[in-house]
Amino acid sequence: MTVKDLETKLNFKPLNKVTENEIDGAFISDMLSDVMAGAQAGSVWVTVQTHKNTIAAANLVDVPAIIVVRGKKVPEDTVKMADKVGVTVFGTDLDSFKVAVQLYEAGLKPVG
Amino acid sequence: MVSDECDHTWKMTNLRDGFIVTEKCYHCNKNRVYFSYEDVPPKDEYKEDDHYWNYAGSAQSVKFDMVCTRCEKTVPFEDLMGLMHCVGCDPECHVNIMSRICEGQNVWLYAALSYQLGEEVDLPVEKLVILTDYFTSRLRTPGKKILVVPGSLTRRPDLCRGEMLKDVGMLSLTPEG
Repeated sequence: MTVKDLETKLNFKPLNKVTENEIDGAFISDMLSDVMAGAQAGSVWVTVQTHKNTIAAANLVDVPAIIVVRGKKVPEDTVKMADKVGVTVFGTDLDSFKVAVQLYEAGLKPVG
Repeated sequence: MVSDECDHTWKMTNLRDGFIVTEKCYHCNKNRVYFSYEDVPPKDEYKEDDHYWNYAGSAQSVKFDMVCTRCEKTVPFEDLMGLMHCVGCDPECHVNIMSRICEGQNVWLYAALSYQLGEEVDLPVEKLVILTDYFTSRLRTPGKKILVVPGSLTRRPDLCRGEMLKDVGMLSLTPEG
């Protein structure tokens, strides 16, 4: 699966440039420290966090996509920073559990 | 500190949750930072020598050490407070200048902020190398690298708006979108 597939096949709404990077797992956490310690490169990160230091954390561990759940608004500076480092940010009104189910049914495995 | 006999492969170990706590002395305006392992960040005011320390903020974070998966050597990182990503707020800051140079090469700089007894000190070079090797080893994107540099390269730490990797606002309610 690619980041682009999150838009075209799973209908998550992209908030910035969508890449064609490969993803093969999913990581769910609202703690940056968890991401630093446990997220794996090539996984999509599901979170309610929208602060731009989420992008710094995603870039550090090579997470190519973030899905912001429960309709949280993502600040413009977060989106701008995501574009700079090549991380695609998606938004959805779904909660983490429903997103996890969709990702699992699409073939992604849990990581961390 | 680190044996050259082993081609180390590092991983995080001994992860400990806690809080990065910032205190300010309102007499001299000095700031200091420490890590608290308590369940809630201490907010008591107290006097120490000539300083009157007041709680100025906190954020959840994590402490960790690094262990080599080959030789099992463990390197403590008690002095590491966190990693900071440059946002380019100061055109003359060395971290900013290095970031702008490196980003074109797909090398991403993170400044290691390190404190001992509340005072900012540089993380030893050996530890910077370990962090650089560890985070770079976790990458998958071809050509991408992580470079961890000393926090002292920041020209004006008091005015720096860099993004420190800590959990902001996790104890407060966030507005619904």
